[in-house]
Parts: sequence; structure tokens; C-alpha cells
Amino acid sequence: MIQVILFLILGAGFLVLLYLFAGRKNVRPEGGAEVLVQARQALNSLQTGLLPPELIVRVFAREDLEFVNSVGAPAVEALFLSERKRVALRWVAHVRKQVLSLKHFHSGQSRIYARLDARTEIALAFDFASLLIACRILQIVFYFRGPYAAPRMVRKAVGVAGEVCAVSQRCLAFLGPAKTGPVRNDSAGDSAAI
Amino acid sequence: MGPITKSQEVQKAAQDVRLRTLAKIPRVLDRFIYLSSMRDYNTGLYHHEGLASRYSPEVACEALADCHREAYRELLLCPLEELVNQMEAYIDSSHTPPRDFLSTWKELEPYRVAVPRVSEAFSADFLFSNFRVALAIVEDRLATPRRSREVA
Repeated sequence: MIQVILFLILGAGFLVLLYLFAGRKNVRPEGGAEVLVQARQALNSLQTGLLPPELIVRVFAREDLEFVNSVGAPAVEALFLSERKRVALRWVAHVRKQVLSLKHFHSGQSRIYARLDARTEIALAFDFASLLIACRILQIVFYFRGPYAAPRMVRKAVGVAGEVCAVSQRCLAFLGPAKTGPVRNDSAGDSAAI
Repeated sequence: MGPITKSQEVQKAAQDVRLRTLAKIPRVLDRFIYLSSMRDYNTGLYHHEGLASRYSPEVACEALADCHREAYRELLLCPLEELVNQMEAYIDSSHTPPRDFLSTWKELEPYRVAVPRVSEAFSADFLFSNFRVALAIVEDRLATPRRSREVA
């Protein structure tokens, strides 16, 4: 009798586990297109919207701060500093989000589509870890000390993010339009040669 | 020489806009506002009768969109001091009393609907932020002579 009860409990336990697994959200099928699309969007967003050097220079330009200081209006200075702090925090939050999206792609899917050698994979893992830590530190620094407190760290983070983007671009290259050679016109008789 | 592709047509039309129209508008802020006014609020499509008759409505639309993106990018990378100067010149040319202009722009934020469609959310937010600060500086400059008089 005790054995039957134990088996019943065990069976019920398995049923509960099965129910929990079946009800999981955010489960992505292996090789699903959703992660690929997200990775492609993250890469585009980083390359065109968040990391262009000229935009970074503009966002963190000290010349703007000096100009606002020269105006000599404390209210305007306060507005400028709060706006730039908000923009800097938003920038780093966006970068972190897109980097996380690329990290999910690399940790789960990239090996299906791109054959990276072990050294590149290790370097990439290190870049992701250091970039995510740098983003967190930048968020804290911007929050407590303002947007102009860590220019070297911003440059470093942008550099590492650029390397991550370059590797991701290679891995996602197959999503681009196929490059075919010119169509040859050397068909013989009734057969077509392309 | 082969037939002209649509992309080449668009480039040609965009160059036409730059040479015939935009060359007469020296300030990038003015060009940005002008090009955004070419866009239909409901459809998001750009219209220009002359350009559409020379090329086609589709080519004219894409050419104007290209020019709009260019002006947006240029304005985005503009130093704050330059943006303030452009805004002051724009207010002068608008023939609107500066205080009315400033209160309207601060209240309605018309620049929000002037950005091109494909602009990144972050870059647009950065531009809006610069506009807010530039408006505050222009407003302060307007108030400064009065403040000086009060002190005197």
C-alpha cells in the first residue's frame, strides 16, 4: 500500500512538472527565426542608431557643456545637465538591451548558423561579459556623477561593442541578400547553364 | 548605356532638389522644417508637384525622404551653440514675435512631428532634448536685456 501511495505521489509530481514545462513562456524553438530577427534588429540598432562615432562624440561633447556654462544662467545649466544625464542613461540602457539580445543569439543559435572557432567564441564571451559590466558601471556613474564623468570608459565600451557587432555581422551575414554571379549565356542546345 | 534604374532616378531627383531648392535655404534647421512640411501627416508620403511632374510621384517621394534624412542627420550632429544660432535666425525669419514663437514651440513641441520616419528612437530623443535646451537658451537671451535693465 505504501508503495502504491509513493508511486501515486511520484506520478502526480511528474504530472505537475509536465504541466509547468508545458506552460512555460518565452520558449524559443531551436533554430527559430524570432531570435535571428531580434539579433538582426539589435545589430542594426547598434550600428546605425547607437554606436556611430559622430553621434557618440555629439552626445558626450564637452563643448556643449562649455557653451551652456558660458550662457551664465543656472536654470539653463541645470536643464542641460539633467537632459544630457537622461540622454546618456537612455543611451547606455539601449546599448545594454541590444547587446543582451546579441548575447542570447550567440549563446543559443549562432553555432547552428556560423562556425566560430573556439578562440573567437571565448573572446566573444569575454567581450560580452566586459561590455555588460561596463554598461552597468556607466549607468551608476552617469546616475551619480553625470554624463561627463567617464569619457574613457564610454570610448572603451563603444570599441568593445563595435568588435561584438563585427563578429555578429559575420554570423548573421547569411541573412543578407544572396550574392550570385552573373548569369552566363553559354547554354548549349536545349539545356540551360547558369 | 543601359536604362536608368529607379535608384538612379531617385538619386538624380534628390540632386535636383538639392541644387534647385535646398541650395537656396542655407540653414539646416530651415531645410529640415521645409522638408518635413512636404510630408503628408496621414500617409507619411512626401509631395512636390514640380518634382513629381519631372520624374514620378514615387521617385519624388523617395528623393524628398532622402533629403529629409540628410537634413535630420546634419541637425542631429550640430553643436548646441550652432543649433541655438540657427533657432534665433529661424525665429527672425518667421516674422513671429519671439515670445509667441517660444511659448508655442515649448508647448506644442512641433519638432516632434518633423523627424523622418525611419529615425532611431534614441537619436530622435537626443534631438528633442537639444531643441528643449536650445529653446531655454534663446528664451534666456531674450530675458537677459530685461534682467540687466532691472538690475540697473
